[in-house]
Amino acid sequence: MAEKGKMNIGHLGGVARLREENEKVVKDCESRIQHWQKVSGDYEALNERLKTLPDQLSYDIMVPFGPLAFMPGKLVHTNEVTALLGDNWFAKCSAKQAQKVVDHRMKYVKHELDDLSKTMKNFEARVGLAKDLETISSSKGDYVDIREDTGNDDAAVTKGKQRIARKPHSMPKMDAVLDLKEENGGGSGDGGSRNGTLTEEELWARLDELEKLEELQDEQDRLSDNADVNGEDTSSVSSEEEKEGDAAPPVNGLSLKPSWTSRPHSEAPPSADRKAGEDDEEEQEEGSCLPTIFFSHTIEPKKVRINTGKNTMFKFSERKEQKEHSKKKKKNGHNNGHSHHELHKITTPVDIYRLFVDVKNGEPVPRKSILKSRSRENSVCSDTSESSAADFDERRVIGRSFSHDEATHSDTSDDSPTGVPLHPASRFEAFSGTVVEKEPMPSAVPHLTIAPPALPTILERKQEEVAPDVVPPQQAPKRVSKFKAARLQQV
Amino acid sequence: MAEAIQKKLKAEVEKYTQMQKDVSKSMSARQKLETQLTENNIVKEELDLLGSTNTVYKLIGPVLVKQDLDEAKATVTKRLEYINGEIQRYETVLKDMEKKSEQHREVLSSLQQEFQRAQGLAVGKV
Repeated sequence: MAEKGKMNIGHLGGVARLREENEKVVKDCESRIQHWQKVSGDYEALNERLKTLPDQLSYDIMVPFGPLAFMPGKLVHTNEVTALLGDNWFAKCSAKQAQKVVDHRMKYVKHELDDLSKTMKNFEARVGLAKDLETISSSKGDYVDIREDTGNDDAAVTKGKQRIARKPHSMPKMDAVLDLKEENGGGSGDGGSRNGTLTEEELWARLDELEKLEELQDEQDRLSDNADVNGEDTSSVSSEEEKEGDAAPPVNGLSLKPSWTSRPHSEAPPSADRKAGEDDEEEQEEGSCLPTIFFSHTIEPKKVRINTGKNTMFKFSERKEQKEHSKKKKKNGHNNGHSHHELHKITTPVDIYRLFVDVKNGEPVPRKSILKSRSRENSVCSDTSESSAADFDERRVIGRSFSHDEATHSDTSDDSPTGVPLHPASRFEAFSGTVVEKEPMPSAVPHLTIAPPALPTILERKQEEVAPDVVPPQQAPKRVSKFKAARLQQV
Repeated sequence: MAEAIQKKLKAEVEKYTQMQKDVSKSMSARQKLETQLTENNIVKEELDLLGSTNTVYKLIGPVLVKQDLDEAKATVTKRLEYINGEIQRYETVLKDMEKKSEQHREVLSSLQQEFQRAQGLAVGKV
């Protein structure tokens, strides 16, 4: 209360002073207006006199003679006036002209008066406001001043700022943490420690998510294994063979279709597959059970890639997440390879075509064969040079991931860009025949692992979208497939 | 310590007051020029009212000197130009002075704080 009283007093003093100043201005204006009114009256009198002066030729007047005396005299030249214009300028003029000058002066005076009256009104209003303020602030009860202490606000403001700042920082940190996990894998203790220290809760949440994903994957893998292996393999093999025979020779574009060029290599050299797959052949054995030789070759490379990928995954990126989630996988490396391999089939466009075959037995067969040939190509590429094959797979996976899985799997999208740049170089490498298995693999692995869970939802879409997905690798086959597809749709 | 600061403060205050005087002087000069400007404007307008038959005089000292009307108009316009130029000059001078006085004020306030601190220290020491 004491403070309030002081504040009021200070406030009142300010208001009072404001009022006083305003009143001063008003008074000044009033005095000036009086002055100008007097001037205006003088001019009016002068004007009157000038009007009547030339009426007579001469006037008898008392002429002032010095300060004390007057003497009688006559005023002649009644129509002749010397007017002081100002700044010591004089002009001899007739009474009429003098009147004009006087009118001119009157205008000026009127203008001044108007201005002064305006300003006076303005300041009178201000005085009234100041008076009201005074009465309001002085009179207690009716009105209450709302005052807030600013001292406490600073702290609150700073708190808010800090919070705001934290969010942007924390968000990138989280991403960085995830990246670090992926990049550093289990190898770097520093990264692990950072992750743990920075965002333990989130880490754990992330781990739980991954676990769920893995479970889903496993289920899907089982399902897909049963379905895909049984139906797709045989049909796909036959169709692939046909297509290879038809499509491979005409398509010579090296730049466009590295996969095509690579095909012959792959077909001819199972040895390449073996080279690549030597490490993984053990795991591939399960896949190699397929009846046809071609099939085994084509499939094997895929498996090889997958296996290598997984191996690399496990070896290089034994991440905390993966460690926990993929314990089963680690234990059952072969099983994983199987599941992934089959998953790959599903994930790749080839798988989709297989689905087509199943759905539409009569007409779509050529399509299937083309697509399958691609898949074969890919597989072949993988055989000759695993890196190239892996790249293709990655591509497909990436495309899918971008189109369908972006929302669901941020990791896939993150990983895919890293994998993309590798493609061109890897292709060339593939041609050269050199095999860089492990480098491309790690990038590919995450796609593979992550992609499967999204598959079930995507399958239907994929059937529809197969054409766009296929487009990038082979343009010619696409067009054919598109037309056919259009016809089919129309029918 | 405090005494030295006090001396400085005094010198600064004197400078500041001098500056204020200058400011007020130039301010009043400018106001005079303003009134002259309005007066001359009126003269010019009223000269325009007159015809060639009218004779114009200029009061120089105690005598009225007859002047040609056109000549008078020319001199009045010249005078107006001159006054306008003077007003602008004063305007710049005033701005300059205001800046300087602002600086002086800052220096003064800082000096005052120093002085007060020095006094407080002295008191504490005593």
